[in-house]
Amino acid sequence: MTTPGITQVLLAGIMVVIAIAVARYWRLPVIKDMAFGSVRGFVQLVAVGYAVRFIFDIESPWLIMLALGIMMTVGAHAAAGRVKNVKGSFGISLAAILTGSLITLATMLVFKIISFDARYIIPLAGMIIGNSMNASALVIDRLASDLRGNRLAIETALALGKSWREASQQFHRDAARTGMVAMLNFLKTVGIVALPGAMTGMILAGADPVEAVLLQVIVVYMLLSATTITSVVAVELTIRRFFTRYHQLRTNL
Amino acid sequence: MGVTGSVLELCNLTRRVGDGTPARAIIDNFSYSFGSARLYSIIGPSGAGKSSLLRLLNRLDECTDGSVKFKGRDTREFAPCELRQRVGYLFQTPHLFDRTVRDNIVYAQPHLSESKISCLIQQVQLPSGIVDAPVDNLSVGERQRVALARLLATQPEVALLDEPTAALDPANTEAIERLISSVVTDHGVTVVMVSHSRQQVVRLGGEAILMVDGKLIEHGDAVQLVKNPGTPQGRRYMNGEPQ
Ligand SMILES: Nc1ncnc2c1ncn2[C@@H]1O[C@H](COP(=O)(O)OP(=O)(O)OP(=O)(O)O)[C@@H](O)[C@H]1O
Ligand SMILES: [Mg+2]
Repeated sequence: MTTPGITQVLLAGIMVVIAIAVARYWRLPVIKDMAFGSVRGFVQLVAVGYAVRFIFDIESPWLIMLALGIMMTVGAHAAAGRVKNVKGSFGISLAAILTGSLITLATMLVFKIISFDARYIIPLAGMIIGNSMNASALVIDRLASDLRGNRLAIETALALGKSWREASQQFHRDAARTGMVAMLNFLKTVGIVALPGAMTGMILAGADPVEAVLLQVIVVYMLLSATTITSVVAVELTIRRFFTRYHQLRTNL
Repeated sequence: MGVTGSVLELCNLTRRVGDGTPARAIIDNFSYSFGSARLYSIIGPSGAGKSSLLRLLNRLDECTDGSVKFKGRDTREFAPCELRQRVGYLFQTPHLFDRTVRDNIVYAQPHLSESKISCLIQQVQLPSGIVDAPVDNLSVGERQRVALARLLATQPEVALLDEPTAALDPANTEAIERLISSVVTDHGVTVVMVSHSRQQVVRLGGEAILMVDGKLIEHGDAVQLVKNPGTPQGRRYMNGEPQ
């Protein structure tokens, strides 16, 4: 395979045309989304490519931090957009993604698993933030709907003198697990069914498969850490919005 | 201490809900004093605020104005969890945790002895064999009684009961009424009970409180109030007319 150039990209557009033709034949109501999404995806990815190249060229730690800040904010915004009816979900997501990502990245830097180099930090942070974003959205959504749907159970426990934490314990555990379940399922099939992205990318780019696998193992551990921390922080911050300090379940949320 | 013998003292208690003006008062300037070891029935039409009133007494909800004193101290001075163990609450539609009858009864009292559990089961007129049954096999009336046993297990000083016999047949209703009377007279518990049955209020005796639209309309001896209400709203309610 040749390294793809603009010609190959345009030719790859044939696959979009095939997809649209199929959708049209079956009258799937997604044609607009497909067409618009393909163009939008192209523009976004190209823009990111140039942005990342720029960051690599400048080699400024401040620029790396700025990029991380922007990525996390956008990630938190996207996560909040997927959560319905929870006030402050942007703040919760941002704090959760920030904590999960920074602790994980810091661990990798402190133990010299990676060096502070845009070439490592930016793509790894992208993976971390993408996964944390999903975890955060799932956790907040699940917890909010569980707390709303189990009001009688929670208030029964409160009325028997349990604290808000005891009264909602089952629901935080379920919600935190929801945020981690994608990662846990991924661990079960990794390498058997799914060939993960980082490894595939390296192999496509011509690296030795064994080297690619080693990197992939690091990536998996890193994502496990990030999604777990993000999930727990998201639970802790969301649950507090649903209770008053007097162990009362809020009903006007 | 506050007024001698008063266990719960409500002073201009008000709860407004909804933002925007005017916020609606579902409990409106309610003042009353509940004495120790006595039985009170709260009656009133649906939506009058009976359940909402009970929820303020164990601070499951926050009042917007006024105060509730428990044994002379503002309920806000108690740790909420302690207050709720001492002022127990039985929900109108009780929830049982998804396990066995025993698990529910010991839910708030993990160290309850086996003999105490059997005693509670007996008190609420459940067959003794039921103790290890999973709760999802129980009838509505049985569930109600398990919830009542779970509440009694915490040995509350005040028991707030929201229509505890609504789902029971006459025989079980009578048994629970006897239990309620004995809890008051033998164990010295103050019972504040919501009832929608005038006959039940008369059978149980004690005091009755009529509320309409979040307000205290009249109160007094239960038999007297039901048979011979002193206010136009009271007469309308007892005759089953709309307010
Ligand atoms: N959190 C709340 N927000 C808005 N309205 C509420 C809230 N809680 C209760 N209400 C309203 O307050 C009124 C009183 O409700 P409550 O449940 O106390 O009535 P009730 O006397 O117990 O009626 P029922 O006999 O049907 O059980 C109702 O109109 C109810 O809709
Ligand atoms: Mg009610």
